[in-house]
Amino acid sequence: MGHGISEAIVDPIQRPDSPAIRLHNVDKRFGEHTVLDQVSLSVDPGQVLALIGPSGAGKSTLLRCINLLERPTGGTITVDGVTIEAGHTVSANELAKLRSRVGMVFQSFNLFPHMTALKNIALPQQRVLGRSKKEAEDRAHALLKRVGLADKAQQYPTRCSGGQQQRIAIARALALDPKVMLFDEPTSALDPEVGLEVLRVMRELADEGMTMAVVTHEMQFARNVSDHLVVMSQGRILEEGDPRQIFANPQQQRTREFLRAVLERE
Amino acid sequence: MTGIMDDFMTYQQELVNGLGVSISLALLTFALGLPGGLLLAVASFNRAKAVRILAVVFVEVGRGTPALVMLQLVYYGLPVTLTAFLSAAIALSLTTAAYTSEIIRGGLRGVPAGEIEAADALGLRAFHTMRDVVVPQGLRIALPPLLGFCIIMFQATTLAFTIAVPELMAQAKSIASSNFHYFNLFLIAGLLYALITIPASIFTDRVADKLARHT
Ligand SMILES: Nc1ncnc2c1ncn2[C@@H]1O[C@H](COP(=O)(O)OP(=O)(O)O)[C@@H](O)[C@H]1O
Ligand SMILES: [Mg+2]
Repeated sequence: MGHGISEAIVDPIQRPDSPAIRLHNVDKRFGEHTVLDQVSLSVDPGQVLALIGPSGAGKSTLLRCINLLERPTGGTITVDGVTIEAGHTVSANELAKLRSRVGMVFQSFNLFPHMTALKNIALPQQRVLGRSKKEAEDRAHALLKRVGLADKAQQYPTRCSGGQQQRIAIARALALDPKVMLFDEPTSALDPEVGLEVLRVMRELADEGMTMAVVTHEMQFARNVSDHLVVMSQGRILEEGDPRQIFANPQQQRTREFLRAVLERE
Repeated sequence: MTGIMDDFMTYQQELVNGLGVSISLALLTFALGLPGGLLLAVASFNRAKAVRILAVVFVEVGRGTPALVMLQLVYYGLPVTLTAFLSAAIALSLTTAAYTSEIIRGGLRGVPAGEIEAADALGLRAFHTMRDVVVPQGLRIALPPLLGFCIIMFQATTLAFTIAVPELMAQAKSIASSNFHYFNLFLIAGLLYALITIPASIFTDRVADKLARHT
């Protein structure tokens, strides 16, 4: 792994077995405060990674490092063959290249409230990929249909329920044809029943082979949909592996306590 | 009272023309000053520090200089000879740009950080994020105070009489100095200004209410 950073720059088509996401010794400090401490993990193409752990563990920060919404203070990040090393200044081009490969869905949806659902999905395609308005809108309509919101195209986000907004946000991210999708507690702001419609869309996405990294408190989703589970605490990976195995038989005391606490709440 | 009415009827033409000049001056001031304010506001968020500093200096100088001083500076100070009207429009635009840039900045800051983050995550360039996401919403937030400021600037067009722009105030003064009905003519001028500013204020309040209801 030590010299593996440069080889990841090779075109992924020549290396079909290379991971879609790889973090190597990633550190993130805010001033004195270490939020991520030597985190390494990789996600293979088509895999679904679930990230769980107590609040403040650094899950969001980890996710946000993958698309450089946060700049890691140490380590390297590779997404679909594009490698970014901490400490190097990232050119606008590199950043655009990396972000074009990664879609992100936020807990608070973050739709643009002054645009219709259709425009929320179409505009980024026009701006980022240079698609024509027609092309972008056709794609937006198709995606709205896919997330079950064909009739909401002309609706403004504030007129939509939380679950609908989140599905629009997923469609917006998918419209840019990302190689990887990041989800940061996509259902935490939603009522449980409403969260289900979002989880259903995510599950379909996983079934279609999308590579996903999902921070979640939905233990059902983590157990049943994810291929790989990472448990984080205090900026470190506490344990990782097959989700069913970890749920059935956690190796760490801290994991056991965490799982007991969340499962009791459910 | 009849004296006031008489004066108005006698000098109606000059007074209404004067009001027309005041309104034209105000409109030209807004047409130049408001885009200037937007430009300065956007520049104050620029990634390049030099651009930010330039914007801040311009704004602080613009706000620190009284409109009357700005007027004299532009009229007497610019190396090119401009008409008094154009000088007044430029001077008032500079003041407008400086003040409204702060108002607009406040509006732009009011756009939720999460949306900007989403735009970043989507890969939108900073320019597009600003133009498509931040500015449309920020201007909406800033609209009521901007309209309020425009009303104040309309009133500030009276300052242009000091460089002999034939606006309403200048007309009233020139008529009064020939017939000595100072009180009458300034009262008429005041009423004519109010004819514009009061409906404008009501309109501003309506806009503010409407925006408040829709957010
Ligand atoms: N921008 C920031 N500045 C300073 N501290 C931060 C910042 N973002 C997150 N943190 C801190 O990092 C830690 C991990 O946060 P986060 O990644 O949001 O955790 P999680 O998503 O697991 O709840 C927390 O202690 C939080 O206060
Ligand atoms: Mg979080």
